[in-house]
Amino acid sequence: MSAYVQFADTAKSFGPIEVVRKTSLGLDRNSLVVFLGPSGCGKTTLMRMVGGLDQPSTGSILLGGEKVVRPDRRRGMVFQSYSSFPWLTVERNIAFGMRYRNDITAAEKAERTRHYLELFGLADFAGSFPNRISGGMRQRVAIARTLAAGSDVLLMDEPFGALDALTRERLQVELRQIQIREEKTIIFVTHDVEEAVFLADRIVLFSRRPATVVADIDVAAELGPQRPLEIRETQKFFELRNRVLHLIRHETGAVV
Amino acid sequence: MVELAVGVIAAALVVAAWEGAARSGMIAPQFLPSPSRVLTALWTMLTQQNLIWHVAVSTARVWVAFLLAAALAIPIGIVMSSYRIVGAALEPMIDFIRYLPVPALVPLSIIWFGVGEETKVFLLWLGTFFQLVLLVADDMRRVPQEFVEVARTVGANSRQVMTDVALRSMGPTLIDNLRITLGWCWTYLIIAEIVAADSGIGYVIWTARRFVKTPEVMAGVVVIGLIGLVTDQLLRLLHRRLFRYL
Repeated sequence: MSAYVQFADTAKSFGPIEVVRKTSLGLDRNSLVVFLGPSGCGKTTLMRMVGGLDQPSTGSILLGGEKVVRPDRRRGMVFQSYSSFPWLTVERNIAFGMRYRNDITAAEKAERTRHYLELFGLADFAGSFPNRISGGMRQRVAIARTLAAGSDVLLMDEPFGALDALTRERLQVELRQIQIREEKTIIFVTHDVEEAVFLADRIVLFSRRPATVVADIDVAAELGPQRPLEIRETQKFFELRNRVLHLIRHETGAVV
Repeated sequence: MVELAVGVIAAALVVAAWEGAARSGMIAPQFLPSPSRVLTALWTMLTQQNLIWHVAVSTARVWVAFLLAAALAIPIGIVMSSYRIVGAALEPMIDFIRYLPVPALVPLSIIWFGVGEETKVFLLWLGTFFQLVLLVADDMRRVPQEFVEVARTVGANSRQVMTDVALRSMGPTLIDNLRITLGWCWTYLIIAEIVAADSGIGYVIWTARRFVKTPEVMAGVVVIGLIGLVTDQLLRLLHRRLFRYL
């Protein structure tokens, strides 16, 4: 199977600062790939290039064989900071994902909005403004908006970083379930090893800046596709987490 | 409600202290007339000296100048913060001009525009535009980058990012800054209306001063203060109505 997202000799520098060293990497469709690495190593830059928000200095990024040149709704971003628009209700925030789509009718847009309100447990808060709901709910709104837009690829930049431990755990479980149900390709950036192992089908481990791939771990082969919360307490999970931690310490020389 | 009551009580106390000080005879009435004398003067001005007409003229001048300033400052401020090169070109000039005292530009404005309405509006505009343009540029800079990027990734073009996201995001601070600069516009009124004027509250105050009619001078000042207070409260109300989500 050919890769859906393809980094082809992709490199990025900001002025004299080399952020990403020439990287070639292919990501399968409908998989959840975690970019793991020390803070500031360049993994967010790689993800932004997939989103078309930054352009590679050399090389290119291909999505379904097509070169990424600008942002479009096929690749939606979810940020760490709460990016729900404060002036729109939860319902309208989700509908905003489809605001510029002319290929579906208003009735379809309303139906999709209802679907994602239900899917993310937000129906009771449809008329609330983001400042009236919790941080976890705001991130659900952001994810729902991206899915409603019809994005094939979700680009998630430490989206649960600002949440408390319990909310974070619950959203991780939900994200995993939704990724399987909605058949999405997700690139998830984090520096949290436990989160990475729990969520990922595959972990791509990056070195310190300039980012280069130092390890590529097939998590799905070891943990399978379903990730109930209890998996965190299994021997397999512990071993894998320790292995990744060991890799980070030895391959990147970093404490994450 | 409590805040309103506290505000009213504090104002009442100040007026009572003023009345007491004026009635005690410690200060000559031509320097500090009592509030009751100021009120009497205000009533006379309203009923016999066409004060309402002067208020209307001043209000029109302030609003014309203010709207002209806003109509230019909002797009220019947005462009300044959207395009670094434009900001770099304009900001030093604007910084230079906004520090110039408006009274220093009265002779120049008379040379340019004569002694008609244009000069008055120009002076009011001058005191507002250069302050507002920098405030708008700052408002625009504070629009979270994530909002812009979310809009771009769901297919918004540059115009849609501006109208659907940037302007909506900066709305609350923009309205606040308009409210503040409208207040500044009123503070330049006296300067604008002493230039060969025959109408307006500034003209009324200036004329009363020539004849040392201190109660009339103070009545004019009180009227400006009241207009400012009412305008400010109305704009706050508008702010609350427009931005219920805050």
